[in-house]
Amino acid sequence: MHTTNLNVSINKLSKIEGHADLDIKIRDGKVEDVSLRVMENKRFFNQAVKGKPYANIPQLVSRICGTCSIAHLTACIEAVEKTLKIRPSAQTMILRKLTMYSLMIRDHALHLYYFVLPDIFGVDSVLDLVDTKKELVHQSLHVKEAGNNLSNLIAGRAVHAPFEAVGGFSRVPDKTKFSEMIEELKSIRGYILELAEILYQCDWVLKRKTDFVAIVTPDFSFLEGHICSTSGACINEEDYWDHLHNVVLPYSQASGFEFEGHPYVVGALARLNLNKDNLHPDTKRDMKKYLDVFPSDNIYHNNLAQAIEIMHSIDHSIEILSVADFKEEKLAEPETITGEGVGVIEAPRGTLYYWLGINEGKVRYANLVIPTAQNLISMREDVRDAAVKILACENNDSGHEGGADKACEEKIRKEVEKIIRAYDPCMSCASHFLRVNWV
Amino acid sequence: MANKKKRVGIFSFTCDEGCSIYLIEIFNTKLLAWLEKIELAYFLSVKDKTEIKNFDISLVEGVISTAKDKAEIEKIRAASKVLIAMGSCAVTGQPSGQRNLFNTAQAAEIEDQLKSYDYLPKCLSIKEAVKIDDEVLGCPIDEKKFIEVFEKYLI
Repeated sequence: MHTTNLNVSINKLSKIEGHADLDIKIRDGKVEDVSLRVMENKRFFNQAVKGKPYANIPQLVSRICGTCSIAHLTACIEAVEKTLKIRPSAQTMILRKLTMYSLMIRDHALHLYYFVLPDIFGVDSVLDLVDTKKELVHQSLHVKEAGNNLSNLIAGRAVHAPFEAVGGFSRVPDKTKFSEMIEELKSIRGYILELAEILYQCDWVLKRKTDFVAIVTPDFSFLEGHICSTSGACINEEDYWDHLHNVVLPYSQASGFEFEGHPYVVGALARLNLNKDNLHPDTKRDMKKYLDVFPSDNIYHNNLAQAIEIMHSIDHSIEILSVADFKEEKLAEPETITGEGVGVIEAPRGTLYYWLGINEGKVRYANLVIPTAQNLISMREDVRDAAVKILACENNDSGHEGGADKACEEKIRKEVEKIIRAYDPCMSCASHFLRVNWV
Repeated sequence: MANKKKRVGIFSFTCDEGCSIYLIEIFNTKLLAWLEKIELAYFLSVKDKTEIKNFDISLVEGVISTAKDKAEIEKIRAASKVLIAMGSCAVTGQPSGQRNLFNTAQAAEIEDQLKSYDYLPKCLSIKEAVKIDDEVLGCPIDEKKFIEVFEKYLI
């Protein structure tokens, strides 16, 4: 029998957010160890937030992650507002939805066009598609630019958005630009249908019987609702922490989480599995074929789910901008300057939880649960399972002495990179779980 | 072709990678024109790792927080004709070097972690760590300024 001893090491995974290394140790044909190491150096946010005035905290934590800075900003603002009993206006909530939609369009488009499509077309990079798939590359740039322009219009910028603040928005968006924005959003709808078709046709399958968890929002706006799971749990946002169990991952600068004692998955796939009925009517009309795929336990359907969420973000934004009449408003004021509170939103990669303690206007502690930390355990299991499966095939395929190991290693490497990208991890975020400080 | 394309490398050290994410947004309108003049030789957000050698222009974001990273930036410097510090962290060391500003109590809390992961006592900006040829400020980089500085080196 062919016995395999292999160390599959990937130093610096590419086409993901941030830095991670992966090592798979195989002894006598068996997968002995899988370690996914988050290689982000710490910036010590849990210490940095302490003692800072509450109004400055959202912009500080925005710097946790350049990719999903708007998600951190928005979740932290919600936590500050809940803590200090600040009641944002209806207009503020609408502007926040638009801000989140601009993030979803940009961020999902980056993942799908830049990280996933190269794997589908069997090339290293989107740059390799500039000549062969010219039209698609043009489309990717237009889609991202539309999201970028929506961020600029509503929140001032796509990265570290300057207008979003505790209690409201510091500027009212320029109404004269709305009709142009609506036209631009309409112009990319067709591109998203083409993108969805490619992802729908993609025959990759990676089934995982797991629990999916997401906030079920009544208008699929990523902001407010109950946190629900496919296993039937439905809990209030502020109680989320009580249902989580922190698992420290060895050799890593991050920790993983379990929900009610078992691994779970958050993100676009979870949201589609739990809440597809609340998508925008235009999205439901034009993407029916793709929506019928859900609920799904195929992890690769996270990609299709992201494309559907881009369409929803476009459609709801068009509707809001078509009827909006935004007025100058003062920022809502706090009723108290001491307390503790929780803010939870759906970031592009899943449920993002902020728990803040504030004393006399200064932050005492912050505790975060970020999406990638919640998916880490499942991701690691899927990597292990894939390696086991490939090994089983290779072991049956006798007679390839010598060259077989090399081929096997390459196969495992390709497959696990694909899996990791499907989970769309964000390593910048993953290194910044904050330890609870029970003061 | 008479004019050889410039080999460009984009590197991220300790930071939130907001500058390279913002650079990808700048790509929305600029990428196709730039690709006439440049070869994107190293950019982990977009393509697999390649060897660090022969860069005409390197764009570097973040701060240097470990000895390992210090060696890496020195290697990149030696392999680059022009090195541009990209963003506030790379130029000034902040905000990603926030631990440099910690008070005694905050510093005490992170002391053990600094030791066990082999961190430098203080974070260094890219500008402090190696000689730079140009810089673009902003958190993230200012779009207009970046285009102006970058395109200077494409001629």
